[in-house]
Amino acid sequence: MSSLTDRQIFGIAVILYGISAVYSIFLLRRETRRDNRVNYFLLLAAFLAHSYSMVLSGFSLASCPIKNLYGATTFVLWTMVAAYLLVGSFHKLRFLGAFASPLLFGIGVFALFTPRHVSEAVPNFTGGWGSLHIAAFTLAYAAWGLSAVAGVMYLTQERDLKMHKLRAILSLMPPIQRLEMVTNRLLIAGFVLFTIGLGVSVTFAHKGEFTMRGDFKVIWAAFVWLLYLGLILLRWKFWRGRRFAGSAIGAFAFVLLTFWGSSLMSPSHDPRAMPETKTNPQRQ
Amino acid sequence: MPVVVLGLSHHSSPVTVRERFAFSEARIPAVLQSMRESGLAEEAVILSTCNRVEMYVATSLEPAKAFAELQDFLVRIHDYRDPLADEIYKKSEPESVEHLFKVACGLDSLVLGETEILGQLKKAYDLALQHQHTGSRLNKIFQRAFNVAKQVRTETNIQRGSVSVGSVAAELAEKIFSSLSDRSVMVIGAGDTSEKTARALLSRGAKHILVSNRSHDRAVALAADLGGRAVGFDDWAKEFARIDIIISSTSAPGYVIDRAKLVPLIKLRRGDPLLLIDIAVPRDIEPEVNFLEDVFLYNIDDLQAIAADYLKQRRNEIEHCEGIIREKARGVLTTRPITANQKQSGLSSASSAMHP
Repeated sequence: MSSLTDRQIFGIAVILYGISAVYSIFLLRRETRRDNRVNYFLLLAAFLAHSYSMVLSGFSLASCPIKNLYGATTFVLWTMVAAYLLVGSFHKLRFLGAFASPLLFGIGVFALFTPRHVSEAVPNFTGGWGSLHIAAFTLAYAAWGLSAVAGVMYLTQERDLKMHKLRAILSLMPPIQRLEMVTNRLLIAGFVLFTIGLGVSVTFAHKGEFTMRGDFKVIWAAFVWLLYLGLILLRWKFWRGRRFAGSAIGAFAFVLLTFWGSSLMSPSHDPRAMPETKTNPQRQ
Repeated sequence: MPVVVLGLSHHSSPVTVRERFAFSEARIPAVLQSMRESGLAEEAVILSTCNRVEMYVATSLEPAKAFAELQDFLVRIHDYRDPLADEIYKKSEPESVEHLFKVACGLDSLVLGETEILGQLKKAYDLALQHQHTGSRLNKIFQRAFNVAKQVRTETNIQRGSVSVGSVAAELAEKIFSSLSDRSVMVIGAGDTSEKTARALLSRGAKHILVSNRSHDRAVALAADLGGRAVGFDDWAKEFARIDIIISSTSAPGYVIDRAKLVPLIKLRRGDPLLLIDIAVPRDIEPEVNFLEDVFLYNIDDLQAIAADYLKQRRNEIEHCEGIIREKARGVLTTRPITANQKQSGLSSASSAMHP
């Protein structure tokens, strides 16, 4: 495996995520504990390959591998899988993988198509705040991703209960009230992390090197922040249940679909506009 | 020394016959003693429940002779003088051992896959063991039966799901609410099925029960039974904002709860889910309310369909269970009898099979 580049190893991980996603379709049709265990080990194998690719990437960059869109996306994906593997170690919650796998596979495929220019971080941050900026944002996306997964589970289970399907009872899913609570808490956790990321940007970014005003990524981030703030307030005052779960999914779909485009339209985040640093050619 | 079984169950005889062959627990040790003293049995266990009376016997007699004498003994001891056709069944090895395993697994029960029989079997075995009416042969076979029951429970879906209306309703509630302990249940119409459903919810942790009935006295009586509170029949809507589960079973000719009545009340709930269980015929709750957000309506047909689906699933597992049972019966019949030391460790394993 050492002759493979980190990207190729990540490709193997994505293939495993894909197999898990296909297997999940079978699982969602006929759920049994033993099958969930198979899916868990598929995701564990993918996670190990994914982790190894990140380690190789880190060595090639001689730093934390979150230096570009590829690094950020794979880190979001890695965080989500790690969270699932932790939760899935409790056998009653292992079925969550069946709902997470398609999303994980989607993010993995997206990451494979992102360019991996390694940019000098623009804007630059004083001290170690740049790492906190990136970590807070990526963890926020991971939390929102998991919130969307919980939302999908809510809608699936709620629909089955409404339609009087036997699988609503046979399912190993938690009660819908708890699923809604999990969706909400993950959404709030993501919002707090996102707010920290924004706060760090505003406070510690070197203002002289770029202007926040008019930067599309900044506008986009502010919009996303407002979108999630609105969702939290709506849930608190008005929306519960199906509408809230649907909104959590919709909001994350928006983030997923516009993230790349918003980066391309931002002078401070566009990887094409950034000076590329040298990386280990053996690992490219 | 072969093991045989002779008995009668709900499959072979009506309750009018079974009740005449039933043994009280206090009488069983003396009957076992008598069987052994008469030379009919070297070892014996008697299982007597509402659905079956069975004698498991290790005997040195030829099976045909043993069956004739055991039936004669059973008839005589109960002073049964009416003619018998096929009410009493007789099985010799390996069917006798397979039958015991099936009984332990609930495969021979009236409610397929039920677990109560395992406790009853354990109790019957313990009684015989305490009075020293079992030996190496029956010890080994009964202990293996308890192990097989545990294996079947963990490896198959024979015990999965609920097969009664009340239990299905309770399971549904557990799929909607995070916890039943802080949920309020209202029973509208104090009928038998609604009482059973309320009890199923109570057994799963529900604590606050309100009972409303046209006859207030009946409501008060049932509320007292369930540890709840009675509410006037015309006042139930006032309590609605705090209610999470409604079980309705009135004999009203029209809808007691309809969409028009429910819509303004739903707004008071701020998005909390509401489970409506309509077990009345004619129905008490307008079906259209199921289209309201956060409202889950199940009528008697829905609940029975789920219970029937569960039962079907259990039936589909029978073949799998029987495969395990055949293999284990073959195994136990080809190995040596259990020793005295192994008996005690086997007992603890039997106990763990019942209380995992």
